[in-house]
Amino acid sequence: MIRGLWDRETVALILLAALLPMALAWLWLDAGDAAGRLLFALAVTGVWHLVFMFARAQPPSLSFALSALAVAILAPEGLGPVQMILGISFGTVMGELAFGGWGRNVVAPATVTLAFLGFGFPAAPWPDLVPPLAWAAIPAAAIGIVTGVMPGGVIAGAVLAGAVAVAAGIAPAPLVHAGAVVLVLLVADPVASAATTLGRWLNGLLYAGLLLIFAQGWTGAAPVQMAVAAALLASLAAPLFDEAAIAFWIARRRTRHGGP
Amino acid sequence: MAETFRFWPTLTEPLVRQNPVTLQILGICSALAVTTSLATALTMSASLTVVLTLSAGLIASIRRHIPDTIRLIVQIVIIASLVIVIDQLLQAYLAEISRALSVFVGLITTNCLVLGRTEAYARHHPPLPAMVDAFGNGLGYSLALIVIGTLRELLGKGEVFGYEVLAPVSSGGWFTPLNLMLLPPAAFFMLGLLVWAIRSARPEQAEAPDHVAPMPREPAE
Repeated sequence: MIRGLWDRETVALILLAALLPMALAWLWLDAGDAAGRLLFALAVTGVWHLVFMFARAQPPSLSFALSALAVAILAPEGLGPVQMILGISFGTVMGELAFGGWGRNVVAPATVTLAFLGFGFPAAPWPDLVPPLAWAAIPAAAIGIVTGVMPGGVIAGAVLAGAVAVAAGIAPAPLVHAGAVVLVLLVADPVASAATTLGRWLNGLLYAGLLLIFAQGWTGAAPVQMAVAAALLASLAAPLFDEAAIAFWIARRRTRHGGP
Repeated sequence: MAETFRFWPTLTEPLVRQNPVTLQILGICSALAVTTSLATALTMSASLTVVLTLSAGLIASIRRHIPDTIRLIVQIVIIASLVIVIDQLLQAYLAEISRALSVFVGLITTNCLVLGRTEAYARHHPPLPAMVDAFGNGLGYSLALIVIGTLRELLGKGEVFGYEVLAPVSSGGWFTPLNLMLLPPAAFFMLGLLVWAIRSARPEQAEAPDHVAPMPREPAE
């Protein structure tokens, strides 16, 4: 990853730039306490990065702003500050910092936070995402793919499966909106998604497939809740897809070139 | 027996330094299943400590008569008999807790902690040291269970031992019970945090890292 100008912080900065269309659309449309939620999430996540910097000499990363933004947009509404602090602390520490910081984690810290809040406080309502926010996900994904900081295969796989589902008429509009926003914010994280080409396509297909399965059978769940659950399972499966893709590549190479 | 038996270290070593749950990760199946409340955790701890101590004493006293080839069968028969006695006692006097513990008292038979101590220690030592060692390990297991059980009950229901400590929102207080703590994954989180805390305080318990990170290089000018 470290090549010339490109190190971890460059990636974080460009990801942040890619997510700006969504962040601005969200702040613009959600006239309520959107800015307050974002500042609160930034503060809690940032404090944990500082704690780990001082306690473990672990370099802090700008990526904390990415997870704070995702949490602020997607977290269930009506939670008190104690609950939010608990959820964000759990996600940031157990999902990311305990592994050694951004780049070594298995699942995105925001995904862990949201899953924790969802399971811990099931009574809190999930936010309804407005359609313009989902439209803003398109330029965000475009910037991410063009600059190479978002895995194109993941997004392409998810969009492909989503397009098929929409054509077949089994994906209602709120589900597509939530799926698109979560895809860009959580699933297309360059760390938590698959790293091989084949693995990325499978990862995106799995995310969209899980979302569709949840939409068919999970009664009483909000679209964002389904999308977060699908994102969690898809990023947990990402290493498996990479392993399978590499094993497949080795097997093909062996039949082509011979060898042990 | 070559080494001399020292009472106090044998009893206290398994409490933190050689804790069976947090260091050796033994017997965590039951430890995680019964820690949703402190009452069940305490009952389970007491049952396991009694079974472990008595079985260690019995096995140590007949250790020279157990044929090596069938020693596991003999040990399991002894442990299982004690477990059945304990289970019957719980059903008779603590019916409600016994129902909450469900199969986990019966499963003390197959708890790797019990078999591990009888196999590793009681088989080679006289009854008294074996029982002291077993009791110490039982206390170590109990300590881990009590810590996890207290935290899970406190955060999950706002109660300790069924008494309200943090006033929940439903009765006009400020505390929102964290339902996640009553679900099985929470036990893993708490155990992980406990292990982390202990290994931070005692770095000698930490395992050697699998990989060494490459030295960061200065970016080219």
